[in-house]
Amino acid sequence: MCGIVGYAGDQDALPVLVDGLQRLEYRGYDSAGVCLRTEPLTVHKKAGEVGELVSAVPEASDATSGLGHTRWSTHGEPTDENAHPHLDCDARYGVVHNGIIENYGDLREELEDAGHVFKSETDTEVVPHLLEEADGTLVERLSSVVERLEGSYALACVSADTDGVVVARNDSPLVVGRGDDANYVGSDVTAFVEHTRKVSYLHDGDIARITADGVEVWNHGERVDRDVETVDWDVEAAEKGGYEHYMLKEIHEQPRSLRKTVSERTDETEGEALLEINDDVLARNERVEFVACGTSYHAALYACRLFEEYAELPATAEYASEYDGPHDPTDTLVIAVTQSGETADTLSATRRAGREGAETLAVTNTVGSTAARETDEVVYIRAGPEIGVAATKTFASQVVTLALVAISAGRARDTLPAVEASSLVSDLRRVPGGVQKILDQEDAVEEAAKEYGYDDAFFFVGRRLGVSVALEGALKLKEISYDHAEGFPAGELKHGPLALVTSDTPVLAVLTEGTRPEKTLNNVKEVESREAPVLAVASEGDDEAERLADTVFTVPSLGEMEPLLANVYLQLFAYHVARLKGRPIDKPRNLAKSVTVE
Amino acid sequence: MTNKAVVLAAGEGRRLRPLTSLRPKPMVPVGNRPVLEHVVEALADAGIDEVVFVVGYRRERIQTYFGDGDDWGVDVEYVVQDKQLGTGHALLQAEEAVDGEFLVVNGDSIVDASLVSSLVSANAPAVAVTRSDQPTDYGVVDTEDGRVVGIEEKPRVYDAETETINAGVYRLDEAVFDEIRSRPGGETSLTEALASLADGDRVDAVRVEGWTDVSHLWDLLRVNSEVVGGRGEDDADVHPTAYVADGVALGDDATVGPHATILPGTALGDNANVGAGAVVANSVVFADARVGENAVVRDSVVAEDARLGSNATVEGGRADVVVEGELYEDVRLGGVVGDYSTIGGGACLEPGTVLGNDVRVGTGTVVDGRVSSETEVRR
Repeated sequence: MCGIVGYAGDQDALPVLVDGLQRLEYRGYDSAGVCLRTEPLTVHKKAGEVGELVSAVPEASDATSGLGHTRWSTHGEPTDENAHPHLDCDARYGVVHNGIIENYGDLREELEDAGHVFKSETDTEVVPHLLEEADGTLVERLSSVVERLEGSYALACVSADTDGVVVARNDSPLVVGRGDDANYVGSDVTAFVEHTRKVSYLHDGDIARITADGVEVWNHGERVDRDVETVDWDVEAAEKGGYEHYMLKEIHEQPRSLRKTVSERTDETEGEALLEINDDVLARNERVEFVACGTSYHAALYACRLFEEYAELPATAEYASEYDGPHDPTDTLVIAVTQSGETADTLSATRRAGREGAETLAVTNTVGSTAARETDEVVYIRAGPEIGVAATKTFASQVVTLALVAISAGRARDTLPAVEASSLVSDLRRVPGGVQKILDQEDAVEEAAKEYGYDDAFFFVGRRLGVSVALEGALKLKEISYDHAEGFPAGELKHGPLALVTSDTPVLAVLTEGTRPEKTLNNVKEVESREAPVLAVASEGDDEAERLADTVFTVPSLGEMEPLLANVYLQLFAYHVARLKGRPIDKPRNLAKSVTVE
Repeated sequence: MTNKAVVLAAGEGRRLRPLTSLRPKPMVPVGNRPVLEHVVEALADAGIDEVVFVVGYRRERIQTYFGDGDDWGVDVEYVVQDKQLGTGHALLQAEEAVDGEFLVVNGDSIVDASLVSSLVSANAPAVAVTRSDQPTDYGVVDTEDGRVVGIEEKPRVYDAETETINAGVYRLDEAVFDEIRSRPGGETSLTEALASLADGDRVDAVRVEGWTDVSHLWDLLRVNSEVVGGRGEDDADVHPTAYVADGVALGDDATVGPHATILPGTALGDNANVGAGAVVANSVVFADARVGENAVVRDSVVAEDARLGSNATVEGGRADVVVEGELYEDVRLGGVVGDYSTIGGGACLEPGTVLGNDVRVGTGTVVDGRVSSETEVRR
């Protein structure tokens, strides 16, 4: 999604901004630009990669404050004109923006009637022209402009008249970084974390002025102070460390990140999961509704089964964008699963649940994110920064974290005996080793990718916990290899999709424990009789799977976590198919890491 | 001023199999830290801030662990040696990444910072030499007035009790690359190139202390016991009734159950678990491994995600062990359990037993000798 970086200090702003844009590339974008505070303002912007922008800008500038932006198109195509920053008629005000201004049509009409000339098709461009119309200092102007805006936005502005950057936040994240002789602003901390680790997260309604000397924040006209926090992960860890792609690096990081996920959260002696949340939230609700999107939705689907089994709670997972509010707010716990904690659809669904009176819990990777701050309770998945657009290690950490929550719920509700819980938490601690064992088989998966990667389409099937893994396997493949891939419950094959199955459509079947393999094997026979190649992921020692499938990968015995291990094979399969085809694996076309529009 | 080092970490380390079947020797843990981490820390302490890793065999393990080196305060760059054609060939892969003078360090033996420092202040070309009582495993260096006059790789027979050997740390300059390229044949060793350099020019031999190699499985136990000592216990989960001696390393989230006993010389890796009443002494237990209730593990190596059932016993002690066709008599090695192997309840390993990876030992079975990977052993 769009990225913002702003700088105000005593050094040349240009290198800081360009570097920030490169850091923000992981969010996904289609154009980029910078605005330097000179007299009048200087703008460089281009459709395409940040690299292209870099080759078009000078190496140095005289400006000591400015803005940078990576754009992911919503209003208007990715063109040089539509790229941010946008200016007013006289190049006195420069603006970058994340989010959507819903009433921009009316505003634009009004401004054009008043003689303003627009150069782009974006919603954003109304803002600099509104600033031009307003009176007073930049802070006063922006305060009056945001009164007129409807929608979600993080806005950052500069004026040719004064040094510094002024920003406004409503429903779209903004973070201020506090340095010694300079201050920063970004849509997330990666934009400036190499310069400072001291940050303040802005709240909705905040307007902040950032200069070399300090940061001032107002909320609805009142001066406020926002806490200064220290960010403890490094953005340096985000670099590729010898791997060709972040995605492969992150796949290989899973054993270590999963150890962090479970660390100090299990008590095998007493049979407890130890989480940092109030157990009453889990004990007093009679229903669980998950809201999530994409990969997080698949983790939620996995967790539904675990909640039903361990806690005897009816649990459903809804696409956040389709969520219609809690079934009964008085006894429903709504669990938001979002890696970034900024997913607009998920935030919107969660806010709705909260407004209607349901208790809310966020399961997220991002400390200080909007989801973490706005929900009643939060559990962090501790996967560390994930840069590849295709989620891998965060899916594994989400499932394991949700399993811990389900075990806690089972214990709190007295539906899960301690002896069972002890064995379940013991299984969770064995997931890191199990994943490593699969990573050790990477060569075999690469071979399978070579053999089947060029086929026409790919179908992923499973039952029970295997359904979520089949859906996730298909999503990974289509995201990064651009192949047609579909996942569905194995039993649904004969109700339609079987018509698509041919000898050139490999079927990837999840046959591990927790997925009713004996039933799915019947579906495997159905597709084999249509001559489709079958790649199976089965439990070790499953002779029937060995006999029927063309290629079998095995997972060690790990109870209901076996499907999660199976998923690691599917991650590697997707990666190697995409790599064979030379796809831009870390930045697939049209996709963004953190989707902050609805 | 030299502030760049090339670390040779592409090799396998066959003598440490099965531990090196899935990880390169530099990633074998000593005191809960890979051998290579000891090297990187010594380099950082000696003021080196840029490190080039030459990686190859199972390189994912190294890359995943070290990333960009930020956790150690060094910048790490990776170059890949696709085929393991000797240490000279490995160094050649780093040619583009260095200029002027630089250090070269073997990534599979432990060095300390003072050793690194004494090479930093030497004149290139120079090689660190040290005394060893196992000269047949290394390159023996003949010196005269502080200069190298000859190097003999792994001599079969040697009379003296200790000899001067190559400690695998060098200060070199770009001249070495042409020397390596001029060697005949595809496979080249760095020591051959050095020996031939020493024929013409002066190659300094710098006497050093603070070098430790883990050549064999039993060396791992000895070296581990030398470096462990109360590290990281804050993040471990030790039951109040358990006994943990001094001279033990506990990893993050390592768990010690009720009444279990952890005796000196032991390292428990991250997320390792020792069940109620178990006894672990003088042993290296890797990450994710599990020792069942009342099991006894002495003088042993339990690799990643290996599992010992309740009452399994590795009594420990001395034995004769064959490695790569050679017999080593009376070494202290209770047993080795390879990655992912499982040992059933009440099973016993005789001293010197080496189980490969993913071996299944049935309940109550007594095992001896070497068992190859993916084998099932039953009563």
